[in-house]
Amino acid sequence: MIEFENVSVTYPGAKEPALTDVNITFQKGEFVCVLGRSGAGKSTFIRCINGLQPVSEGYVKWGDKTLSEMTHKETLEVRRKTGMIFQHFNLIPRMSVVQNILTGLFGYKKSYENLLGLFKPTDRLQALEAIEQVELTVEPTRRVEKLSGGQKQRVAIARALVQNPKVFLGDEPVASLDPGTAERIFQLLKETHVKRNLVSIINVHDVVLAKKFATRIIALKNGKLVFDGAPKDFDETVYAEIYNHL
Amino acid sequence: MVWFKRSQLLIILCLTILVLGSMKLTEFDLSKFSDFQNMGDFLSKWFPMNTESLPYLFQESLLTIAIAFLGSLFGLIIALPLSFVAARNTSRNRFVYSMTRFLLSFLRSVPEFVFGLILLTTLGLGPFPAVIAIVLHNIGVLGKLISELIEAADKGPMEAMSAVGASKWIGNLFAVLPQIWPNVLSQFFYRFEVAIRTSLILGLIGGGGIGQQLFIHFKTFQYQLVSVDVLLIMIMVILVDYIGGKIREKVI
Repeated sequence: MIEFENVSVTYPGAKEPALTDVNITFQKGEFVCVLGRSGAGKSTFIRCINGLQPVSEGYVKWGDKTLSEMTHKETLEVRRKTGMIFQHFNLIPRMSVVQNILTGLFGYKKSYENLLGLFKPTDRLQALEAIEQVELTVEPTRRVEKLSGGQKQRVAIARALVQNPKVFLGDEPVASLDPGTAERIFQLLKETHVKRNLVSIINVHDVVLAKKFATRIIALKNGKLVFDGAPKDFDETVYAEIYNHL
Repeated sequence: MVWFKRSQLLIILCLTILVLGSMKLTEFDLSKFSDFQNMGDFLSKWFPMNTESLPYLFQESLLTIAIAFLGSLFGLIIALPLSFVAARNTSRNRFVYSMTRFLLSFLRSVPEFVFGLILLTTLGLGPFPAVIAIVLHNIGVLGKLISELIEAADKGPMEAMSAVGASKWIGNLFAVLPQIWPNVLSQFFYRFEVAIRTSLILGLIGGGGIGQQLFIHFKTFQYQLVSVDVLLIMIMVILVDYIGGKIREKVI
Protein backbone atom coordinates (compact mmCIF):
# COMPACT_ATOMS: atom_id res chain seq x y z
CA MET A 1 0.00 0.00 0.00
CA ILE A 2 2.82 2.43 0.87
CA GLU A 3 6.18 1.83 -0.69
CA PHE A 4 9.58 3.49 -0.30
CA GLU A 5 11.89 3.06 -3.26
CA ASN A 6 15.53 4.07 -2.70
CA VAL A 7 14.43 7.07 -0.65
CA SER A 8 17.11 9.49 0.50
CA VAL A 9 16.67 12.86 2.15
CA THR A 10 19.42 15.43 2.52
CA TYR A 11 18.58 18.68 4.27
CA PRO A 12 19.88 21.83 2.63
CA GLY A 13 23.34 22.64 3.94
CA ALA A 14 23.76 19.26 5.66
CA LYS A 15 26.81 17.12 4.83
CA GLU A 16 25.27 13.76 5.71
CA PRO A 17 21.87 12.67 4.43
CA ALA A 18 19.18 12.31 7.09
CA LEU A 19 17.80 9.27 5.33
CA THR A 20 19.82 7.01 3.03
CA ASP A 21 18.47 4.66 0.41
CA VAL A 22 15.46 3.34 2.28
CA ASN A 23 13.43 0.55 0.66
CA ILE A 24 10.36 -0.72 2.45
CA THR A 25 6.71 -1.60 1.88
CA PHE A 26 3.83 -1.32 4.33
CA GLN A 27 0.61 -3.30 4.06
CA LYS A 28 -2.86 -2.73 5.41
CA GLY A 29 -3.29 -3.93 8.98
CA GLU A 30 0.34 -3.52 9.98
CA PHE A 31 1.11 -1.70 13.23
CA VAL A 32 4.69 -0.67 12.74
CA CYS A 33 6.93 0.85 15.37
CA VAL A 34 10.00 2.73 14.22
CA LEU A 35 12.91 2.61 16.63
CA GLY A 36 16.22 4.40 16.64
CA ARG A 37 18.28 6.89 18.57
CA SER A 38 17.57 10.61 18.45
CA GLY A 39 18.75 11.97 15.13
CA ALA A 40 18.58 8.56 13.44
CA GLY A 41 16.10 9.89 10.89
CA LYS A 42 12.83 8.65 12.40
CA SER A 43 11.00 11.98 12.13
CA THR A 44 12.27 12.52 8.60
CA PHE A 45 11.12 9.02 7.67
CA ILE A 46 7.61 9.55 9.04
CA ARG A 47 7.27 12.92 7.31
CA CYS A 48 8.23 11.45 3.95
CA ILE A 49 5.15 9.24 4.06
CA ASN A 50 2.63 12.08 3.76
CA GLY A 51 4.96 14.43 1.95
CA LEU A 52 5.50 16.90 4.78
CA GLN A 53 9.16 16.23 3.99
CA PRO A 54 9.96 16.06 0.27
CA VAL A 55 12.43 13.34 -0.69
CA SER A 56 15.75 14.23 -2.28
CA GLU A 57 16.09 10.96 -4.16
CA GLY A 58 13.88 7.96 -4.79
CA TYR A 59 10.11 7.61 -4.62
CA VAL A 60 7.39 7.26 -2.05
CA LYS A 61 4.45 5.44 -3.60
CA TRP A 62 0.86 5.34 -2.46
CA GLY A 63 -0.63 2.40 -4.36
CA ASP A 64 0.52 2.98 -7.91
CA LYS A 65 0.95 6.73 -7.54
CA THR A 66 4.19 8.48 -6.71
CA LEU A 67 3.90 11.18 -4.07
CA SER A 68 6.33 13.61 -5.70
CA GLU A 69 4.47 13.40 -9.02
CA MET A 70 1.02 14.01 -7.59
CA THR A 71 -0.91 17.20 -8.23
CA HIS A 72 -1.44 19.55 -5.31
CA LYS A 73 -4.99 18.26 -4.96
CA GLU A 74 -3.87 14.64 -4.87
CA THR A 75 -1.25 15.44 -2.22
CA LEU A 76 -3.90 17.08 -0.07
CA GLU A 77 -6.04 13.98 -0.50
CA VAL A 78 -3.18 11.76 0.69
CA ARG A 79 -2.79 13.96 3.75
CA ARG A 80 -6.49 13.96 4.40
CA LYS A 81 -6.41 10.15 4.46
CA THR A 82 -3.47 10.21 6.86
CA GLY A 83 -4.03 10.96 10.50
CA MET A 84 -0.87 12.24 12.12
CA ILE A 85 -0.07 12.78 15.76
CA PHE A 86 2.94 14.50 17.22
CA GLN A 87 5.12 14.57 20.33
CA HIS A 88 4.00 18.06 21.26
CA PHE A 89 0.40 17.40 20.18
CA ASN A 90 0.40 20.45 17.88
CA LEU A 91 -3.09 21.48 18.84
CA ILE A 92 -4.26 24.98 18.09
CA PRO A 93 -3.98 26.99 21.28
CA ARG A 94 -6.82 29.16 22.53
CA MET A 95 -9.36 27.00 20.73
CA SER A 96 -11.64 24.49 22.38
CA VAL A 97 -11.45 20.70 22.32
CA VAL A 98 -14.26 20.37 19.79
CA GLN A 99 -12.97 23.20 17.62
CA ASN A 100 -9.58 21.52 17.49
CA ILE A 101 -11.16 18.22 16.53
CA LEU A 102 -13.19 19.87 13.76
CA THR A 103 -9.98 21.18 12.17
CA GLY A 104 -9.41 17.53 11.26
CA LEU A 105 -12.14 18.02 8.65
CA PHE A 106 -10.32 20.91 6.95
CA GLY A 107 -9.14 18.63 4.16
CA TYR A 108 -12.74 17.76 3.30
CA LYS A 109 -14.12 21.27 3.16
CA LYS A 110 -13.91 24.29 0.96
CA SER A 111 -11.77 27.17 2.19
CA TYR A 112 -14.68 29.50 2.87
CA GLU A 113 -16.46 26.81 4.89
CA ASN A 114 -13.34 26.36 7.01
CA LEU A 115 -12.84 30.09 7.37
CA LEU A 116 -16.37 30.76 8.55
CA GLY A 117 -16.69 27.53 10.52
CA LEU A 118 -19.61 26.28 8.44
CA PHE A 119 -19.79 22.75 9.74
CA LYS A 120 -22.83 20.51 9.38
CA PRO A 121 -24.59 18.97 12.38
CA THR A 122 -23.25 15.61 11.20
CA ASP A 123 -19.72 17.01 11.41
CA ARG A 124 -20.28 18.05 14.99
CA LEU A 125 -21.73 14.66 15.75
CA GLN A 126 -18.64 13.05 14.27
CA ALA A 127 -16.44 15.22 16.50
CA LEU A 128 -18.44 14.24 19.58
CA GLU A 129 -18.20 10.57 18.61
CA ALA A 130 -14.45 10.95 18.27
CA ILE A 131 -14.30 12.43 21.77
CA GLU A 132 -16.12 9.37 23.01
CA GLN A 133 -13.85 7.00 21.13
CA VAL A 134 -10.71 8.46 22.63
CA GLU A 135 -12.36 8.33 26.05
CA LEU A 136 -11.94 12.00 26.67
CA THR A 137 -13.93 13.04 29.70
CA VAL A 138 -13.48 16.80 29.57
CA GLU A 139 -15.99 19.40 28.45
CA PRO A 140 -15.86 19.70 24.65
CA THR A 141 -15.93 23.48 24.97
CA ARG A 142 -12.88 23.57 27.19
CA ARG A 143 -9.77 25.27 25.87
CA VAL A 144 -7.03 22.82 24.98
CA GLU A 145 -4.22 24.56 26.83
CA LYS A 146 -6.01 23.76 30.08
CA LEU A 147 -5.72 20.00 29.49
CA SER A 148 -3.07 17.57 30.70
CA GLY A 149 -0.58 16.03 28.27
CA GLY A 150 -2.49 12.78 28.00
CA GLN A 151 -5.77 14.61 27.39
CA LYS A 152 -4.12 16.77 24.74
CA GLN A 153 -2.87 13.72 22.92
CA ARG A 154 -6.38 12.25 23.03
CA VAL A 155 -7.70 15.43 21.42
CA ALA A 156 -5.01 15.10 18.76
CA ILE A 157 -6.02 11.49 18.13
CA ALA A 158 -9.67 12.54 17.91
CA ARG A 159 -8.67 15.17 15.37
CA ALA A 160 -6.96 12.45 13.36
CA LEU A 161 -10.01 10.18 13.69
CA VAL A 162 -12.47 12.63 12.13
CA GLN A 163 -10.19 12.64 9.08
CA ASN A 164 -11.48 9.10 8.62
CA PRO A 165 -7.92 8.00 7.97
CA LYS A 166 -6.56 4.96 6.18
CA VAL A 167 -3.12 5.53 7.64
CA PHE A 168 -1.99 6.60 11.08
CA LEU A 169 1.38 8.28 11.54
CA GLY A 170 2.89 9.06 14.89
CA ASP A 171 5.99 11.12 15.51
CA GLU A 172 6.97 10.22 19.07
CA PRO A 173 3.34 10.51 20.22
CA VAL A 174 4.07 9.40 23.77
CA ALA A 175 7.53 10.89 24.32
CA SER A 176 6.26 13.74 26.48
CA LEU A 177 3.88 11.62 28.54
CA ASP A 178 4.44 9.71 31.75
CA PRO A 179 4.85 5.92 31.38
CA GLY A 180 1.33 5.00 32.49
CA THR A 181 -0.32 7.55 30.19
CA ALA A 182 2.03 6.54 27.39
CA GLU A 183 0.86 2.95 27.59
CA ARG A 184 -2.82 3.93 27.68
CA ILE A 185 -2.35 6.13 24.61
CA PHE A 186 -0.63 3.27 22.81
CA GLN A 187 -3.47 0.97 23.82
CA LEU A 188 -5.92 3.46 22.33
CA LEU A 189 -3.92 3.74 19.12
CA LYS A 190 -3.80 -0.03 18.78
CA GLU A 191 -7.53 -0.45 19.40
CA THR A 192 -8.38 2.23 16.87
CA HIS A 193 -5.94 0.66 14.45
CA VAL A 194 -7.61 -2.74 14.72
CA LYS A 195 -11.15 -1.35 14.63
CA ARG A 196 -10.54 0.63 11.48
CA ASN A 197 -8.06 -1.72 9.83
CA LEU A 198 -5.40 0.93 9.24
CA VAL A 199 -1.73 1.06 8.46
CA SER A 200 -0.06 2.59 11.49
CA ILE A 201 3.54 3.72 11.49
CA ILE A 202 4.72 5.17 14.76
CA ASN A 203 8.06 6.47 15.98
CA VAL A 204 8.81 5.53 19.53
CA HIS A 205 11.71 5.64 21.95
CA ASP A 206 10.36 3.03 24.29
CA VAL A 207 11.43 -0.43 23.10
CA VAL A 208 9.18 -2.18 25.62
CA LEU A 209 6.10 -0.40 24.27
CA ALA A 210 7.13 -1.17 20.72
CA LYS A 211 7.57 -4.88 21.46
CA LYS A 212 4.27 -5.01 23.28
CA PHE A 213 2.09 -3.40 20.61
CA ALA A 214 3.82 -3.59 17.25
CA THR A 215 3.17 -6.25 14.64
CA ARG A 216 6.37 -5.22 12.94
CA ILE A 217 9.40 -3.29 14.11
CA ILE A 218 11.79 -1.38 11.95
CA ALA A 219 14.88 0.45 13.15
CA LEU A 220 16.93 3.26 11.72
CA LYS A 221 20.53 4.09 12.45
CA ASN A 222 22.26 7.10 10.93
CA GLY A 223 19.52 7.35 8.35
CA LYS A 224 19.79 3.73 7.24
CA LEU A 225 17.26 0.99 7.72
CA VAL A 226 19.08 -1.54 9.88
CA PHE A 227 16.29 -3.76 11.14
CA ASP A 228 12.95 -4.88 9.78
CA GLY A 229 11.22 -7.80 11.40
CA ALA A 230 8.83 -9.23 13.91
CA PRO A 231 8.90 -7.86 17.49
CA LYS A 232 10.13 -11.20 18.77
CA ASP A 233 13.22 -10.95 16.57
CA PHE A 234 14.14 -7.61 18.05
CA ASP A 235 16.48 -9.03 20.68
CA GLU A 236 19.36 -7.71 22.71
CA THR A 237 21.92 -7.98 19.94
CA VAL A 238 19.76 -5.85 17.66
CA TYR A 239 19.12 -3.46 20.52
CA ALA A 240 22.83 -3.07 21.17
CA GLU A 241 23.50 -2.56 17.50
CA ILE A 242 20.92 0.22 17.21
CA TYR A 243 21.47 2.09 20.42
CA ASN A 244 25.22 1.61 20.46
CA HIS A 245 27.12 4.85 20.36
CA LEU A 246 29.59 3.61 17.80
CA MET B 1 39.11 44.45 35.01
CA VAL B 2 38.11 40.82 34.78
CA TRP B 3 34.56 41.64 33.70
CA PHE B 4 35.53 43.50 30.57
CA LYS B 5 37.19 42.48 27.35
CA ARG B 6 39.31 44.97 25.46
CA SER B 7 36.70 45.09 22.68
CA GLN B 8 34.05 46.10 25.21
CA LEU B 9 36.22 48.97 26.44
CA LEU B 10 36.47 50.11 22.85
CA ILE B 11 32.67 50.08 22.61
CA ILE B 12 32.43 52.19 25.77
CA LEU B 13 34.92 54.64 24.28
CA CYS B 14 32.91 54.87 21.05
CA LEU B 15 29.69 55.37 22.99
CA THR B 16 31.27 58.19 25.00
CA ILE B 17 32.35 59.94 21.81
CA LEU B 18 28.84 59.54 20.35
CA VAL B 19 27.22 60.91 23.50
CA LEU B 20 29.55 63.94 23.63
CA GLY B 21 29.05 64.62 19.92
CA SER B 22 25.28 64.40 20.22
CA MET B 23 25.30 66.72 23.23
CA LYS B 24 27.24 69.27 21.25
CA LEU B 25 24.82 69.06 18.31
CA THR B 26 21.75 69.36 20.53
CA GLU B 27 23.22 72.16 22.68
CA PHE B 28 22.63 69.90 25.65
CA ASP B 29 23.40 72.03 28.69
CA LEU B 30 21.73 71.41 32.05
CA SER B 31 22.96 74.73 33.42
CA LYS B 32 20.31 76.40 31.25
CA PHE B 33 17.76 75.17 33.76
CA SER B 34 18.87 77.96 36.06
CA ASP B 35 16.24 80.06 34.29
CA PHE B 36 13.48 77.68 35.31
CA GLN B 37 11.60 80.54 36.90
CA ASN B 38 10.44 81.55 33.41
CA MET B 39 8.83 78.16 33.08
CA GLY B 40 7.09 78.63 36.38
CA ASP B 41 5.78 82.02 35.29
CA PHE B 42 4.58 80.54 32.05
CA LEU B 43 2.86 77.56 33.66
CA SER B 44 1.15 79.79 36.21
CA LYS B 45 -0.66 81.46 33.28
CA TRP B 46 -2.31 78.07 32.56
CA PHE B 47 -4.37 78.31 35.71
CA PRO B 48 -7.14 78.60 36.67
CA MET B 49 -8.45 76.41 33.91
CA ASN B 50 -11.07 77.91 31.66
CA THR B 51 -13.81 75.30 31.88
CA GLU B 52 -16.41 77.28 29.94
CA SER B 53 -15.49 75.62 26.65
CA LEU B 54 -15.27 72.19 28.19
CA PRO B 55 -18.32 70.75 26.34
CA TYR B 56 -16.91 71.91 23.01
CA LEU B 57 -13.40 70.67 23.78
CA PHE B 58 -14.84 67.37 24.93
CA GLN B 59 -16.51 67.04 21.54
CA GLU B 60 -13.18 67.76 19.86
CA SER B 61 -11.59 65.07 22.02
CA LEU B 62 -14.14 62.58 20.73
CA LEU B 63 -13.14 63.56 17.22
CA THR B 64 -9.50 62.91 18.13
CA ILE B 65 -10.37 59.49 19.48
CA ALA B 66 -12.37 58.74 16.34
CA ILE B 67 -9.43 59.72 14.12
CA ALA B 68 -7.04 57.57 16.14
CA PHE B 69 -9.46 54.64 16.34
CA LEU B 70 -10.21 54.47 12.63
CA GLY B 71 -6.58 55.13 11.78
CA SER B 72 -5.30 52.25 13.86
CA LEU B 73 -8.20 49.82 13.23
CA PHE B 74 -8.18 50.18 9.43
CA GLY B 75 -4.39 49.99 9.64
CA LEU B 76 -4.70 46.68 11.50
CA ILE B 77 -7.29 45.26 9.11
CA ILE B 78 -5.10 45.96 6.10
CA ALA B 79 -1.83 45.04 7.84
CA LEU B 80 -3.04 41.63 9.06
CA PRO B 81 -3.24 39.85 5.68
CA LEU B 82 -0.15 41.70 4.44
CA SER B 83 1.88 40.50 7.40
CA PHE B 84 1.25 36.86 6.45
CA VAL B 85 2.78 37.64 3.07
CA ALA B 86 5.62 39.52 4.75
CA ALA B 87 6.55 36.69 7.14
CA ARG B 88 9.22 34.28 5.94
CA ASN B 89 7.46 31.16 7.21
CA THR B 90 4.03 31.82 5.70
CA SER B 91 4.97 33.65 2.52
CA ARG B 92 4.87 31.47 -0.54
CA ASN B 93 6.77 33.54 -3.02
CA ARG B 94 10.19 35.02 -2.35
CA PHE B 95 9.58 37.96 -4.68
CA VAL B 96 6.17 38.88 -3.26
CA TYR B 97 7.65 38.54 0.22
CA SER B 98 10.45 41.00 -0.55
CA MET B 99 8.13 43.45 -2.27
CA THR B 100 5.72 43.42 0.67
CA ARG B 101 8.56 43.95 3.11
CA PHE B 102 9.74 46.85 1.00
CA LEU B 103 6.25 48.35 0.84
CA LEU B 104 5.89 48.07 4.62
CA SER B 105 9.21 49.74 5.33
CA PHE B 106 8.38 52.47 2.83
CA LEU B 107 5.08 53.18 4.61
CA ARG B 108 6.90 53.18 7.92
CA SER B 109 9.58 55.55 6.74
CA VAL B 110 7.10 58.29 5.80
CA PRO B 111 5.90 60.18 8.89
CA GLU B 112 2.14 60.69 9.24
CA PHE B 113 2.77 64.42 9.11
CA VAL B 114 4.19 64.12 5.60
CA PHE B 115 1.35 61.85 4.45
CA GLY B 116 -1.02 64.46 5.88
CA LEU B 117 0.63 67.30 3.97
CA ILE B 118 0.47 65.34 0.72
CA LEU B 119 -3.15 64.28 1.25
CA LEU B 120 -4.20 67.85 2.01
CA THR B 121 -3.78 68.65 -1.67
CA THR B 122 -6.54 66.26 -2.71
CA LEU B 123 -8.64 65.81 0.42
CA GLY B 124 -8.49 69.34 1.76
CA LEU B 125 -8.41 70.29 5.42
CA GLY B 126 -10.15 68.19 8.04
CA PRO B 127 -10.05 64.92 9.92
CA PHE B 128 -10.39 62.62 6.89
CA PRO B 129 -6.83 63.13 5.56
CA ALA B 130 -5.60 62.68 9.13
CA VAL B 131 -7.31 59.28 9.32
CA ILE B 132 -5.80 58.18 6.01
CA ALA B 133 -2.34 59.39 7.03
CA ILE B 134 -2.52 57.37 10.24
CA VAL B 135 -3.86 54.31 8.40
CA LEU B 136 -0.97 54.39 5.92
CA HIS B 137 1.73 54.69 8.56
CA ASN B 138 0.08 52.05 10.75
CA ILE B 139 -0.05 49.55 7.91
CA GLY B 140 3.73 49.83 7.80
CA VAL B 141 4.23 49.57 11.55
CA LEU B 142 1.66 46.88 12.36
CA GLY B 143 2.59 44.89 9.25
CA LYS B 144 6.18 44.67 10.42
CA LEU B 145 5.34 43.90 14.04
CA ILE B 146 2.74 41.25 13.19
CA SER B 147 4.91 39.58 10.57
CA GLU B 148 7.58 39.22 13.24
CA LEU B 149 5.04 37.66 15.59
CA ILE B 150 4.11 35.23 12.82
CA GLU B 151 7.74 34.31 12.26
CA ALA B 152 8.17 33.59 15.96
CA ALA B 153 5.02 31.44 16.19
CA ASP B 154 5.31 27.76 17.12
CA LYS B 155 5.44 25.80 13.88
CA GLY B 156 3.89 22.66 15.37
CA PRO B 157 0.26 23.65 14.70
CA MET B 158 1.20 24.65 11.15
CA GLU B 159 2.61 21.22 10.57
CA ALA B 160 -0.54 19.66 12.00
CA MET B 161 -2.68 21.73 9.65
CA SER B 162 -0.58 20.59 6.68
CA ALA B 163 -0.99 17.03 7.91
CA VAL B 164 -4.80 17.18 7.93
CA GLY B 165 -4.73 18.29 4.29
CA ALA B 166 -5.86 21.87 4.85
CA SER B 167 -5.06 24.34 2.11
CA LYS B 168 -1.97 26.34 2.91
CA TRP B 169 -3.57 29.69 3.69
CA ILE B 170 -6.31 28.20 5.84
CA GLY B 171 -3.72 26.13 7.69
CA ASN B 172 -1.49 29.14 8.30
CA LEU B 173 -4.37 31.29 9.42
CA PHE B 174 -5.73 28.79 11.93
CA ALA B 175 -2.35 27.65 13.18
CA VAL B 176 -0.91 31.12 13.66
CA LEU B 177 -3.64 33.63 14.42
CA PRO B 178 -4.86 32.13 17.72
CA GLN B 179 -1.25 31.93 18.87
CA ILE B 180 -0.41 35.55 18.19
CA TRP B 181 -3.81 37.15 18.86
CA PRO B 182 -3.13 38.53 22.38
CA ASN B 183 0.09 40.10 21.13
CA VAL B 184 -1.64 41.49 18.07
CA LEU B 185 -4.18 43.13 20.35
CA SER B 186 -1.54 44.67 22.57
CA GLN B 187 0.30 46.03 19.53
CA PHE B 188 -2.99 47.43 18.28
CA PHE B 189 -3.79 49.19 21.52
CA TYR B 190 -0.30 50.61 21.71
CA ARG B 191 -0.64 51.93 18.16
CA PHE B 192 -4.06 53.35 19.09
CA GLU B 193 -2.44 55.25 21.93
CA VAL B 194 0.32 56.49 19.63
CA ALA B 195 -2.31 57.49 17.06
CA ILE B 196 -3.94 59.78 19.61
CA ARG B 197 -0.68 61.64 20.02
CA THR B 198 -0.12 61.63 16.26
CA SER B 199 -3.54 63.08 15.59
CA LEU B 200 -2.52 66.00 17.84
CA ILE B 201 0.41 66.72 15.54
CA LEU B 202 -1.89 66.41 12.54
CA GLY B 203 -4.03 69.08 14.18
CA LEU B 204 -1.19 71.46 13.31
CA ILE B 205 -1.98 71.03 9.63
CA GLY B 206 -5.73 71.29 10.06
CA GLY B 207 -6.48 67.69 10.94
CA GLY B 208 -9.09 68.76 13.46
CA GLY B 209 -9.72 67.45 16.94
CA ILE B 210 -8.25 68.50 20.23
CA GLY B 211 -4.78 68.81 18.66
CA GLN B 212 -5.91 71.60 16.41
CA GLN B 213 -7.57 73.33 19.39
CA LEU B 214 -4.35 73.01 21.37
CA PHE B 215 -2.44 74.57 18.52
CA ILE B 216 -4.91 77.43 18.10
CA HIS B 217 -5.10 78.15 21.84
CA PHE B 218 -1.35 78.15 22.08
CA LYS B 219 -0.89 80.49 19.15
CA THR B 220 -3.53 82.87 20.51
CA PHE B 221 -2.07 82.87 24.05
CA GLN B 222 -5.21 81.32 25.59
CA TYR B 223 -3.19 79.35 28.08
CA GLN B 224 -6.12 78.69 30.41
CA LEU B 225 -7.63 76.68 27.56
CA VAL B 226 -4.30 75.03 26.75
CA SER B 227 -4.32 73.49 30.22
CA VAL B 228 -7.80 72.04 29.59
CA ASP B 229 -6.61 70.61 26.26
CA VAL B 230 -3.59 68.99 27.86
CA LEU B 231 -5.71 67.52 30.65
CA LEU B 232 -8.17 66.03 28.15
CA ILE B 233 -5.32 64.54 26.14
CA MET B 234 -3.84 62.92 29.23
CA ILE B 235 -7.20 61.47 30.21
CA MET B 236 -7.69 60.06 26.70
CA VAL B 237 -4.31 58.35 26.59
CA ILE B 238 -4.72 56.85 30.04
CA LEU B 239 -8.25 55.69 29.20
CA VAL B 240 -7.18 53.94 26.01
CA ASP B 241 -4.31 52.28 27.84
CA TYR B 242 -6.66 51.11 30.60
CA ILE B 243 -9.39 49.80 28.31
CA GLY B 244 -6.80 48.10 26.11
CA GLY B 245 -5.32 46.39 29.13
CA LYS B 246 -8.75 45.19 30.28
CA ILE B 247 -9.64 43.79 26.85
CA ARG B 248 -6.30 42.03 26.59
CA GLU B 249 -6.79 40.48 30.01
CA LYS B 250 -10.13 39.08 28.88
CA VAL B 251 -8.62 37.63 25.72
CA ILE B 252 -5.72 35.84 27.38
